[in-house]
Amino acid sequence: MASVIPVIFILAIVLGLMACGYLFVPKGPQQTTIRTAIMLTLASCYLMWMVTYMAQLHPLITPYRSTKGGESL
Amino acid sequence: MGDDYPTLFRSEQMSLMQFLIPTEVAHDTVAELGELGNVQFKDLNPAVNPFQRSFVGEIRRTEEMARRVRFFESQIQKEKDVVPIRPLYDSASLVTVGPSAAHNIDELDVTLAAHETRLVQMNDSYKTLSERTRELVEARHVLRETAVFFEKAETQQTDIRTSFDDSSAPLLQHDDREQQYLSTVQFDLEFVAGTIDRTRISTFERVLWRVLRGNLYMNHTDITEPFIDPATGAETRKNVFIIFAHGDALLAKIRKVAESMGATLYPIDANADKRSDSLREVTARLEDLETVLYNTGVNRRSELVRIGEHLARWQDVVRKEKAIYETMNLFNYDVRRKTLVAEGWVPTRDLTMIHMALRHATEESGTSVVPILQELRTSKTPPTFTRTNKFTEGFQTIMDAYGIATYQEVNPGLFAIVTFPFLFAVMFGDIGHGLIILFAALYMIFQEKKWARQELDEIVGQFFYGRYIILLMGMFSVYTGLMYNDIFSKSLHIWHSGWDFLEAGSNGVSYALSNGHIYPFGVDPAWHGADNGLVFTNSYKMKMSVVLGVIHMTFALCLQLPNHIKFKRPLDIYANFIPQMIFLQSIFGYLVVCILYKWSIDWSTRDTEPPSLLNMLIAMILSPGKVDATAQLYRGQGFIQVVLLLLAVVCVPWMLCMKPYFQWKEMQKIQGQGYVGLGHRNGGPRESTDEVLEIEEEGNGRVIVEEMEEEHEQHDFSEVVIHQIIHTIEFCLGCISHTASYLRLWALSLAHAQLSEVLWSMTIEKFLGLSGIFGTIALVMVVVFWFSATVFILCIMEGLSAFLHALRLHWVEANSKHYQGEGYSFAPLSFAKLDEKE
Repeated sequence: MASVIPVIFILAIVLGLMACGYLFVPKGPQQTTIRTAIMLTLASCYLMWMVTYMAQLHPLITPYRSTKGGESL
Repeated sequence: MGDDYPTLFRSEQMSLMQFLIPTEVAHDTVAELGELGNVQFKDLNPAVNPFQRSFVGEIRRTEEMARRVRFFESQIQKEKDVVPIRPLYDSASLVTVGPSAAHNIDELDVTLAAHETRLVQMNDSYKTLSERTRELVEARHVLRETAVFFEKAETQQTDIRTSFDDSSAPLLQHDDREQQYLSTVQFDLEFVAGTIDRTRISTFERVLWRVLRGNLYMNHTDITEPFIDPATGAETRKNVFIIFAHGDALLAKIRKVAESMGATLYPIDANADKRSDSLREVTARLEDLETVLYNTGVNRRSELVRIGEHLARWQDVVRKEKAIYETMNLFNYDVRRKTLVAEGWVPTRDLTMIHMALRHATEESGTSVVPILQELRTSKTPPTFTRTNKFTEGFQTIMDAYGIATYQEVNPGLFAIVTFPFLFAVMFGDIGHGLIILFAALYMIFQEKKWARQELDEIVGQFFYGRYIILLMGMFSVYTGLMYNDIFSKSLHIWHSGWDFLEAGSNGVSYALSNGHIYPFGVDPAWHGADNGLVFTNSYKMKMSVVLGVIHMTFALCLQLPNHIKFKRPLDIYANFIPQMIFLQSIFGYLVVCILYKWSIDWSTRDTEPPSLLNMLIAMILSPGKVDATAQLYRGQGFIQVVLLLLAVVCVPWMLCMKPYFQWKEMQKIQGQGYVGLGHRNGGPRESTDEVLEIEEEGNGRVIVEEMEEEHEQHDFSEVVIHQIIHTIEFCLGCISHTASYLRLWALSLAHAQLSEVLWSMTIEKFLGLSGIFGTIALVMVVVFWFSATVFILCIMEGLSAFLHALRLHWVEANSKHYQGEGYSFAPLSFAKLDEKE
C-alpha cells in the first residue's frame, strides 16, 4: 500500500517537534541560535526524507540486473 | 531594546559615546577598555600628521623597546640549542596601570637597554675572538706545512751540495765547517709563506709565474679542515703555500700579488728551532682563546636564558603600551575643560560594562576623577557587530567573507549554521566518509584547549578554525548517507526492500517485482548494483536538487521582509518583495508542486502517460494554453498554466515601474512644498558652521567632528530607474539560472558516489577472492591503499570541493535574494586580538 499518508503523518510530527523546539528552548544568550538550528535541522531532514520517500512511492521503472553481479551487502 | 539577550539574527545595536577623560587617568582608562575589547575609537584628529600628534614621544619610546624585544627574539631563534621561552600565561606579571605604572615602564626601558648592550657586547667579542682563532689556526697550519717543505728542501740541498763540492774543493780548507756554514747560508733562501683560498690557488700560481718570469719555486698543500665563517656559517677551504725566490724586488712583487689575490701572509722563520717555538706559542694562544670563547658562549647562553624567562611578558607589555598610546593619539585635547575627549562606538548592551570598567580604572590609578560618558546622536552608520561564540564564529566568518552585513540587517550567518552543512551533505552523502570527517572534527574539538595555545601551521590552523563546521558537516553527511543508502559505495539492507528479484531469464537478466513495500528510510537497496540504478538515482537527485533549491531561494527571499519592516520601507515590500515572490513561485514553485504531484500519483491507474516535466515547463512558456490531453498531468492544466504565466509576466513591469513611480511622486511632493535647501544647487547638504558655539555649551552632546554625510544619495531620477532596471533583470534571469545552478547538488553527489564505487571495484574487490598467505598480505596492502585514497581523495579533496560549492550556493543563489552586505565590521581596541593580528 503505497500512499502519501505516511508523508503527511510524519509532516505533522515534524511540525509538532518544531513547535516544541520553539517553545521549550530556555531563555539565554543562545536561544535564537538553538531555536533556529533545531527548526532548520528538522525542516531540512524532513524535506530530504520526504523527497526520497515520494520518489519511491510509485516508481515508473523497475530495477533489473544482469546476473553477473551478486547480492550487495 | 526590549529583548534581554543578544541574538545572531541581526547585528548588535551600537551607540556612539563620547568619553571625557581627565589626563591623569587617560592611560589607565585606555588600558582597561583595551582589556575589555568593546570600544572602537574614532580618529578625532584626522588632519594631523602622525608625527605631530601629542603622544609621539611615548610611541617612539615603546617602538625602541619593541625593537629591542624583537632583537632578543631573533637572537634566541638563532641559537642551535633551543632556549626556552616561558609562555605568557606562566610569566610573572608586570603592573602597567596605577601609580607605579610609569616607574615600571621606565625600569623596563632601562632593563631592556642594559640587556641589549650586554648582548651586543658579547656578540661582538665572540666575533672578534672567532676571527683571531681562525687566524691562529691558519698560522698553525702554515707552520706545520712549511716545516715539511723545509725538511724536503734540506734533503735536496745536501744532494746539490755534494755536486758543488767537487768543483770548488781545492779552494777551501775547512771542508766540514764550510759545508755546514754554506749549507745554512745557501739554505737561507728568502721566501713568502701564507694561506689562500683553494679556488684561487691556480690563478695565483699562473699570475706569479708570469710576473716573475718563472724565477720562483712554489709549493702548496691543502688544509684538510674547512674554515667556518662565524657570521655567515659559510665554509671556505684554504691552501698553505710557500714561495721561494731571491731578491727584494721579487719578494716585494710576490707580497703585492699575494695581497691582491686575498692571501694572508704569515711571518715564518727559516730556523727550525724558532719555528717550533712559534708553533708552541701559537698552540698555547689557541688554547687560551678557545677557553675564552667557550666562556663567552656560556655567558651569552645564560643571558639569553634569563631573557627567555621574561620575553613573553615584555612582548605583551610593549605591544599593549604601543596600542594604548596610538589610541590616545586619536583623542582630542579640549583646552577649556582640560580633559581628553574621545569618541567611540560601543554596543549598547555593553554600556554598563563600560561604566564599570571606567570606574575600575579610576580606582586602579588611585585618583578620584571619573571619566564621563555621554551618548551622542549621529546619523553616521555604525559598524556591524555580531556577537559570536566559538561555535558560531566559524559560520559567521564564512558568510562575512562575502561581505559584512549592513548595520542591523538580517544576518545570513545564523541560518548558515544548518543550511550550509546540510547542502554540503547533500553533495557528499556517504555514511562512511561522513563518519571519517565526523571523527576528525571530534578529535580536534577534544584537543581544543591544547591546540588553541599552540602556534598552528597555516593549513592545520584553517581546519582547526572550522572544526565545528566540519562537525556539523559530518553529522549531516551521515544522515544523507543513510538517505542515499551509501556506505563506502555499498548499501545497507536494514528494512524490507520493496523489490523482489526474479529468476534470471534466458538473456541472463533478472527483473524485479514490486512487492508493495516502500523502503521507509532512504533509497531502496535493490537499486544498488542494478543496471538501471543510475537512471532512477539521477532522476531522483535532480528533482531533489530543484525542490531543495527552490525552497532555499524562497526562504532567502522571505528574509527580505524583516529588513523592510525594521528599516521602515513599506514601499519595498509592495514593489520588490511581493512581485519577486509571485514571479518565483508561479514558475518554479509550480514546478516543485508538479514534481511532488507527479510522484504522488499511481500512474498505473491513470490512462495518460506520465509527462516529462521538463518538456511541460518549456511548453508552458513557449506555447501557453496548449496541453496535449494524452500528456497532461492533471485536468485543467492548460488554463492554470496560462494564469500562472500571466502572473509572472505581470510581475516584470510591476517590479520595473512601481518603485521608481512612487519615489518620483515623493520627490515631486518635497519639491512642491518649496523646501529647497541652501546648498541644493550643489547637491550636498550644508556644512555646519557653528562648531565653536557647540563646544561652548556644556554637555550638550554634539558631535565634535561633523563630517560630510556620504549616505545622502543623489535622488537623481534617472539613477533610480536604472537601478531598478538592473535589479529586475538580475532577479528574473537569476531565478532561472540559480534554479539550474542548484543542480550541482545532483552533479557532485553523483560524482562522489561514482568515485567511491570505482575506488572499491578497482582495488579491494579485485583482491577479495585471493586465497593463501600471499592473498591475505596483498589484501591487507590493498586495504591500506584503499583507506588512504578514501581519506585523501574522497574525504579531503571531494570535501573541499563540496564545501566550495555549498558556499557558492549560499553566497550567490541565496544572498542575492536579500543581502545588502554594505557594512563595515566592528574593530574594537582589544588586547586579546592584538596578538592574533601579528
